Amino acid sequence: MKSISLFVDNGTYLTKIHPFTKLMYIATAISIPLITGRLWMFGVLIAVSLCILASGKILRKTVPLIAFSFTILLTIFLIHGLFNQKNTNVLFRIGPLKFYQEGMLYALRIGLNILNMLLSFAVFVLSTKPSELVDELEKRGFSPRFGYIVTSVFQIIPQMMGTMNTIMDAQRSRGLETEGNLRTRAKAFLPLISPVVMSSLINTRERAIALEVRGFGANRKKTWLQDRPKHKGDREITILLGILILVAVIWRVMECL
Amino acid sequence: MSVITVENLRYQYPHAEKLALDGITFSVERGEFIGIIGENGAGKSTLSQALIGLVPQFYKGAYGGKVIVNGKEAGNTPVAQMCGNVGLVFQNPFNQLSGAKDTVYDEVAFGMQNLGVPREEMHKRAEEALKLLDIWQYRERNPFDLSGGQMQRVAIASVLVMRPDVIVLDEPTSQLDPEGSEEVFRAVEKLTKSGITILMIEQKIEKLAAYCSRILLLHQGKQIAFDTPQKIFSMENLEDYGVQAPAFTRICRAENVTLPDGTYPVTVEEAVGVMQAKHALDASSELSGSNGLDGSNSADDAVKRSMEMFRIEHLDFSYLENVPILKDLNLHLDGRPTAIIGQNGAGKTTLVKLLKGLLKPVSGNIYFRGEDMAGKTVAMLAGNVGYVFQNPDDQIFKYNVLDEVMFGPLNIGMDPERAKSEAKKALELTGLAGKEGENPYDLEMYERKMTAIASVLAMDTDVLILDEPTIAQDWRGRRIIGSIIRSLTERGKLVIAILHDMDFVAENFERVIVMAHGTVLADGRAEEVFEQEEALKKACLQKPYVMQLCSRLGYEKPYLTVEELLSDRGIEK
Repeated sequence: MKSISLFVDNGTYLTKIHPFTKLMYIATAISIPLITGRLWMFGVLIAVSLCILASGKILRKTVPLIAFSFTILLTIFLIHGLFNQKNTNVLFRIGPLKFYQEGMLYALRIGLNILNMLLSFAVFVLSTKPSELVDELEKRGFSPRFGYIVTSVFQIIPQMMGTMNTIMDAQRSRGLETEGNLRTRAKAFLPLISPVVMSSLINTRERAIALEVRGFGANRKKTWLQDRPKHKGDREITILLGILILVAVIWRVMECL
Repeated sequence: MSVITVENLRYQYPHAEKLALDGITFSVERGEFIGIIGENGAGKSTLSQALIGLVPQFYKGAYGGKVIVNGKEAGNTPVAQMCGNVGLVFQNPFNQLSGAKDTVYDEVAFGMQNLGVPREEMHKRAEEALKLLDIWQYRERNPFDLSGGQMQRVAIASVLVMRPDVIVLDEPTSQLDPEGSEEVFRAVEKLTKSGITILMIEQKIEKLAAYCSRILLLHQGKQIAFDTPQKIFSMENLEDYGVQAPAFTRICRAENVTLPDGTYPVTVEEAVGVMQAKHALDASSELSGSNGLDGSNSADDAVKRSMEMFRIEHLDFSYLENVPILKDLNLHLDGRPTAIIGQNGAGKTTLVKLLKGLLKPVSGNIYFRGEDMAGKTVAMLAGNVGYVFQNPDDQIFKYNVLDEVMFGPLNIGMDPERAKSEAKKALELTGLAGKEGENPYDLEMYERKMTAIASVLAMDTDVLILDEPTIAQDWRGRRIIGSIIRSLTERGKLVIAILHDMDFVAENFERVIVMAHGTVLADGRAEEVFEQEEALKKACLQKPYVMQLCSRLGYEKPYLTVEELLSDRGIEK
């Protein structure tokens, strides 16, 4: 089955680290540059994220993510480089377009921030199995119902996409044109979307019954098939990351004094 | 002591006008295998849901009487508690999976986790159940990647691990191919041996007759009878309740041979026993019919054979490179109604989708009436080739049946007048006359299925392709579909159907094509094809029941249907 999860199961050390440790890393990577307010800090943390991704053998998987954000970054640079309110000093010209230093600097800050967030999230998303995260959350008292919604989405969305194709074929078989100009497509919208909605509603009801007969509504303490294999250093890393944030805060406070 | 006691159970769905269950009273002993039969709408599924308490707790509505399973009253014990006593398995295996687990093993453990079963116990039970149902080897697979039969066994396993005393199965094999349903029946038989009480709703009467100790017959919510299969199927007025007796019973009734207690046999073994005894007594029992595959109405046959509809030449098809689905297929389809049979994954659906133009050949050509189909779009072909999909919910979107049925005809450019008259004709043919104004979603599954068939029939195409039309249909529904096939054939149209129901094939189709692994194993008249043991074995198919009986009795002529056999023996039914 085609999966919509981005998780890469390559068995590296990164996949074995506890999801919460990786969440802590995201918090650290995002907060430190913001707290310290230094531009070079972004660079440091982006470099750290890239190193982690490379060591987890998932660096190549981030390329599409970066490529996707690239268009957004480009527009930020264009808009701020050209039109930022505080623009006074011209940095360079391309033909008639004047790019200003202040705007470019501002855009650089936003751009680095986005890139930093993206990469630190990539560390988490690409190396964590969604069901594992949900299991860990549930073990710490998170609602099983909410947990179910999260995990089932990863299984059911691909199924729905399969249904969509069947519905398209079924309606085309009845002479419905699904390709062509905007009007044809608009006309095809209802015959295509209604069965998707209705059949997922019907399926949902059946699935609700199926969950019910398997004790999903029993308000008992859940048990688990296995404990997560303990990964050495989870605790230490989390504490270290916490200290780093603390150091950043103290440094910032000292600077202000 | 009875494990299930039902006392005067009455139930009405909210907003319904009639009682869905009316005065049901029976009790079941531990370890019994009970069959529940009746036509569509008889209340079978409602009863199954009442046994676990979903009726009335989940559905609400008006409820009276008592259902006691293992000392617990299903009407007011929370379903989450009942599920340790009663397990429920239903038709569509796909909707029974939790959708939250990505391996079979985890899926099976899901229910136990919810109930807080200790870990060692979970592993023990999961292993036991998976091994019992012969799916231990799939434990690491994603449950959604399995075949229907395997998925249904996962569903049974995940109910089994909750350690119920009773398992209720609601048409668990209706969506499965013969091999898949055989797998499920075998698994269920194993369960009864382990002391679990089984209640099974099923349309496959011959199978029920072979496995059940007693059968409960329902009709319009009322309990008609609860007795041994022999007594139930010997009832004179069985067909009034929309149930047809097993083929063996019908033959023995016509031949007037009974078991010592005066009832008619219900299984092939019983039938062989009494028929052989009769033949031994009756020396003149030599069959009058000569061994003839003569093709009695050959003139008619020749006309149909001369109509060329599809010509398939060197057809190759694959969805993924290097995984061929169809390999160098050559086939001529003429005017004879044609059934395509074979296992899931044999390439049957792929083939008909190619005929419909929904898929394009990787290489090779398909000609429709001599014209190459390569350059045509699906919509262009819509007026010539009709295709009814398996699941009616994949196409229904209008608010009333008539509009739904007129959608296709209007799409292919029929004028509204004619579209309406074609739609009315189609509704008449599918037994839906009088339901024009109803919302399709308010109809039962079997009626929705008929609506889908009508909506394609109304397009008045030269070719009609049916994908598994008999699923979820009772005996009456199957008869309606049979009559549709005959009436279209009379009007010179080609009907192609993918089927898993061998008896339906034998009764209604003049040509049978057996497929396996993307190739044609056998092709010809039904009686010829079903004689080819080798090909059937390769395609994991079984002979129709009547043929099974004939070969056990050593008849020379391979009879396909009860009617054929009886008319040759000079017996009026």
